[in-house]
Amino acid sequence: MSRKVIKSVTNLYDKKIERLAEVPDEKLPPLKNNKELKYIGRGISRIDGYDKVSGTAVFTFDKILKNMAHARILRCPHPHAKIRKIDITKAMNIKGVIDIITKDNTEKIDWYDGDTFIFDEHLRYQGDEIACVAAENEVIASMALKKIEVEYEILSHVTDKMTAVKEDAPKLYDWGNISPDANPAKYNRGDYEQGLKNADQIIEEEYNTQFVIHNPTEVHCSTVDWNGDHLTIWDSTQGIFAVRNSVAAALKIPQNKITVIKKYMGGGFGAKLEAGKYTVMAALLAKRIGRPVRITIDRKEMNLAVGNRPDSYQRLTVGVKNDGTLTALGMTMYGAMGAHRDGAGCQWPLRSLYKCPNVKVEEYHVAINTGRSRPFRAPGHVQGTFAFESIIDMAAEKIGMDPIEFRLKNYAEVEANWEIPWTTKLLKECYKQGAEAINWKSKRNKKAGEGKGPVKRGVGMASQIWWGTGGPPAYATVKLNRDGSVHVLSGTQDIGCGTYTILAQVAAEVLEIPVERITVSLGNTDEHPYGPSSGGSMTASSVTPAVYDGALQIKAKLMSGASALLGVREDNLVYSQGVIYSKDDKNKKKSIQEVVRETHEQILVATGARNARPQGVMLNSFGAQFAEVEVNLETGKVKVLKIVAAHDIGRTINRKLLENQFHGGIIQGIGYALLEERVIDHYTGKVLTTNLHNYKMPTIKDAPEIEVIIVSEGDDQISAIGAKGIGEPAIIPTAGAIANAVYNATGVRIRTLPITPDKILNQVYNIG
Amino acid sequence: MIRRINLTINGDKVGIDVQPSMRLLDVLREILNLTGTKEGCSIGECGACTVVINGNAVNSCLIVIGQCEGSEITTIEGLEKNGELNKLQKSFMEKGAVQCGFCTPGMIMSAYALLLKNPNPTEVEIQEAIAGNLCRCTGYKQIIEAIKSP
Amino acid sequence: MTDFDYIQPTTLQEASKVLSSDGINTLIYAGGTDALSLLKNDIYKQHKVLNLKKIEGLNYISFDKTNGLRIGALATISEIGSSPEIKENYNIIHEAANEIASPQLRNMGTLGGNLCQRPRCWYYREDFDCIRKGGGECFAYEGRNKFHCIVGGGPCYIVHPSDMAVALLALDAKVVIHSNNGERTIPINDLYVLPQDDPMNETILKPGEIVKEIQVQPPVKGIKSGYVKFKERDTWDFAVVSVGAVINSTNGIINNVNIAFGGIAPKPWSEKSLNKSLSSVRINENELEGKLKNLFSNAETLSENAYKVPLVRNLTKRLLLRLVQ
Repeated sequence: MSRKVIKSVTNLYDKKIERLAEVPDEKLPPLKNNKELKYIGRGISRIDGYDKVSGTAVFTFDKILKNMAHARILRCPHPHAKIRKIDITKAMNIKGVIDIITKDNTEKIDWYDGDTFIFDEHLRYQGDEIACVAAENEVIASMALKKIEVEYEILSHVTDKMTAVKEDAPKLYDWGNISPDANPAKYNRGDYEQGLKNADQIIEEEYNTQFVIHNPTEVHCSTVDWNGDHLTIWDSTQGIFAVRNSVAAALKIPQNKITVIKKYMGGGFGAKLEAGKYTVMAALLAKRIGRPVRITIDRKEMNLAVGNRPDSYQRLTVGVKNDGTLTALGMTMYGAMGAHRDGAGCQWPLRSLYKCPNVKVEEYHVAINTGRSRPFRAPGHVQGTFAFESIIDMAAEKIGMDPIEFRLKNYAEVEANWEIPWTTKLLKECYKQGAEAINWKSKRNKKAGEGKGPVKRGVGMASQIWWGTGGPPAYATVKLNRDGSVHVLSGTQDIGCGTYTILAQVAAEVLEIPVERITVSLGNTDEHPYGPSSGGSMTASSVTPAVYDGALQIKAKLMSGASALLGVREDNLVYSQGVIYSKDDKNKKKSIQEVVRETHEQILVATGARNARPQGVMLNSFGAQFAEVEVNLETGKVKVLKIVAAHDIGRTINRKLLENQFHGGIIQGIGYALLEERVIDHYTGKVLTTNLHNYKMPTIKDAPEIEVIIVSEGDDQISAIGAKGIGEPAIIPTAGAIANAVYNATGVRIRTLPITPDKILNQVYNIG
Repeated sequence: MIRRINLTINGDKVGIDVQPSMRLLDVLREILNLTGTKEGCSIGECGACTVVINGNAVNSCLIVIGQCEGSEITTIEGLEKNGELNKLQKSFMEKGAVQCGFCTPGMIMSAYALLLKNPNPTEVEIQEAIAGNLCRCTGYKQIIEAIKSP
Repeated sequence: MTDFDYIQPTTLQEASKVLSSDGINTLIYAGGTDALSLLKNDIYKQHKVLNLKKIEGLNYISFDKTNGLRIGALATISEIGSSPEIKENYNIIHEAANEIASPQLRNMGTLGGNLCQRPRCWYYREDFDCIRKGGGECFAYEGRNKFHCIVGGGPCYIVHPSDMAVALLALDAKVVIHSNNGERTIPINDLYVLPQDDPMNETILKPGEIVKEIQVQPPVKGIKSGYVKFKERDTWDFAVVSVGAVINSTNGIINNVNIAFGGIAPKPWSEKSLNKSLSSVRINENELEGKLKNLFSNAETLSENAYKVPLVRNLTKRLLLRLVQ
């Protein structure tokens, strides 16, 4: 099948991302509905299951090389300081210390888009990097960190965004504390002021959301090894090519001199989407000492320095007519980026969930003296959806309308930011099926808090919109061996979600052979064609169509070969279960093994490509989650009893893996709603929650019953596979649904996450 | 001060010469190359390093090898016998109780310790047994199902 | 973490000797669940670790109806939590033990270690030079203090983290302390000190002194006891507030009751006046609410922890109702 290079356009936040990519030049035949398929859509067990349950899976954390040194990083204990002097003499004298690098003995290497260097003398947060020690083992490396003497000039700090925007606040940068990219970031649609005038009711509310930390179970880590001028990096990363390109630029070496490998990793959630400083430090040390180096970040560093979801202050305004029509939506928002520039906004749910002609948004993204934020599972949408869906709930109550009816009244039929239709939007179906499953009508209190006694129950819901849906460039090579076994290769990565398995399912479906005959290899920049970073819920939706294309090409080669071998025209052949028959004479047949062998091929190879995104239409996933909660007003404890998640995510490729993703996302959402928070002592500028009992992630006992309903089939405008992506949709509406359920149960509206017992008791008992 | 410590690991008797202050976790991973046991937090708060000592699930990050003299230790690598996975391991695969897999060895070892003492646990007993094992990506329902019906 | 020498005595005398000669540089390890994390986080910089766990004859639970209960300091929390005799006769201990940390930690942690664990105050555990570590200020006082104490604070505002201590205080348990100068037995209430008396230690133990045994008097007929621990997270969490009660009642009227509190003070706490005011009270919700409405009305709450006052009243009410009904 021939190829063409096209410009593929993706609308992502306010960016119109244009990418040139090679794509199939004609539309591939879409897959049938799942019930007619043999492998896709089934709950096939993950093909990497054995490795993981047997303990033989080698994660990056387990990558041990002969003669390897161990590296640890010295981090700044102060929120804001300058280095006056570093003395490494005592540390170097410790037996077993091999080398130490600092700003004094390395070149300046730009980092974070030129905002800083790998080693900067200006330290902008508790956890900023000062030195890196290589030693014979981690214990010695850790001891050496304590012997490095650093003289600091302590600078005044600011760790709260609303203080940081004040004129007399300490400044982190020449440009001040408000990002030049968002000072403010503005969006206007229609006439907001007129919209307010047209409203019968105006609701204005303030919401706050907390910082949360990704905290994947596998910490960030790399093992690096130089062989001459070639550097091999094993990294726990969501993007092997992103790491390769950043490290190549940092070390000023060609990209073909670096191989990045990632086989198994213990989660990322966005924190591992880019190269870490630690990887560059390990590479520098390994070069200097002529030995492989393993570097790991410990749990405390995880909670200080490798990313977080930004916090938010959101002042929202809703104008609504008494019949339920939205007339105006307004938002003023401040979000803290941490010490370096990154996105901290959350306006998109407000801009895109419902039909409203008049919208006004102002966002300020603020630098403060804490670790830099990074994308975290649905960046912006999680904090934005909580606040927006809370105020929508309040607006519905104000005009006396059922919250679902209110949402249907303002249902957007057309994407309002670009005024284009969606390929598919089944949100109505999500509302309907979700409401039935949670038993909305009978469980919802007519009046919030009307239940008797101190332990109250209620239900609430929230909606979800997300980008996802994938796009080019994404490639996969499919190789068919003489024995009929198949290799699928792609330079994307399986970060735990099951990419290995779903790619095998796609090849199995096309070639009609069992999944067991397929091996999938991912995560090697040298050996694999380019595959995208695993983020944005775009891996499945980008890479499965490429595998589909590659497998179809293999099938075409087989048909052509069989035609020549059998002397039967291709259009007179049928392919079934790995055997090609003549339509006229069933005895005239060749198995795929015979075709490869008899055409004297060793391996048939084809590289498939992801198709272009359709233009002139909008692609989003949708969903609604419904929460049933029990709130004890004597203790303030919120217990989530059940979550129903009804989503339009395109095609389900593997039901079992989909359940994993949804359960995991929802439980992270419960953590966000009720438990997790990075707490900072603003006086000293230091983080108080660097372990896993102060930073409280949900345990098995915090997990409710979860029911996942998928209302969609494949969306064949997106691709022949028609998957939209599920990783992020799963977490987006959870906190909003819980907050609304808490209100329905109790009549207490919590506007600041997480909804901890103290906040409920403070309201119930009028404290503070 | 190196000392000889004698242990039974996954059924094999081993004698190792180590600093008694070395953590059991490091002995397993670095000396015995048993990297199936993971490290997530280093202070007993995540359960990724769970192994079974003399029939009890413990956090190997908080145990020094000096106290293990004569102990019988089972790690995730010890469950597979003669090329055949333990029924609990198979059940984790079949029920989809695994996602990224990093918490899985610890989760399975906690479950294994439970089933040693209580072959037919209730759902509440299962919850209690794996309450010290954090999973950040899969959720917990499939894990309960896997332990319920190995 | 600092590298350390590991010492593993097999007798109390041996252990006590090491501790009296170099107590300042020696960290006691009686299960390791807290000790190693303190070392890991550089709260402790000792270069010797003394493991008590191999000391013979300190791991026992013995009970009889005349002498009551004796628990050796090295009995593990899970042994205590699964003892049928404790469950039958001292439900409060049973419930408290099973609320502690995680199964793995209960398998490792010991009663002695639990009673002597260090506070979980996040300033103490993080890199702050606070009063408890010999510094000049309590950062919680004007800082982030939602988990800090509402009574007994100053100049340090920790809460004591032990669940077992609260349960044992409600039972008026006794602690046997060993030192090479001999043994002494004290009420558990006297084991603990307030920061105003010693801001750097939670117990009165001196270098060389080791908790050896806990003694609880025999159960009185008709007595009921229980422990309720309120946590933000449903497991592996420390008490926001906990309440233990031992109650003797007849036909719904309290004869006498002994209540102890956790999560509200730098030591396990009891309010004698409350116990007294509850005797002869008929247990029902209204009566109890009346009796409890002024409980801790003298609390010195900080900026973020006043919610603990209604919480402790409500938890106490529910526990008493549960025990009597």
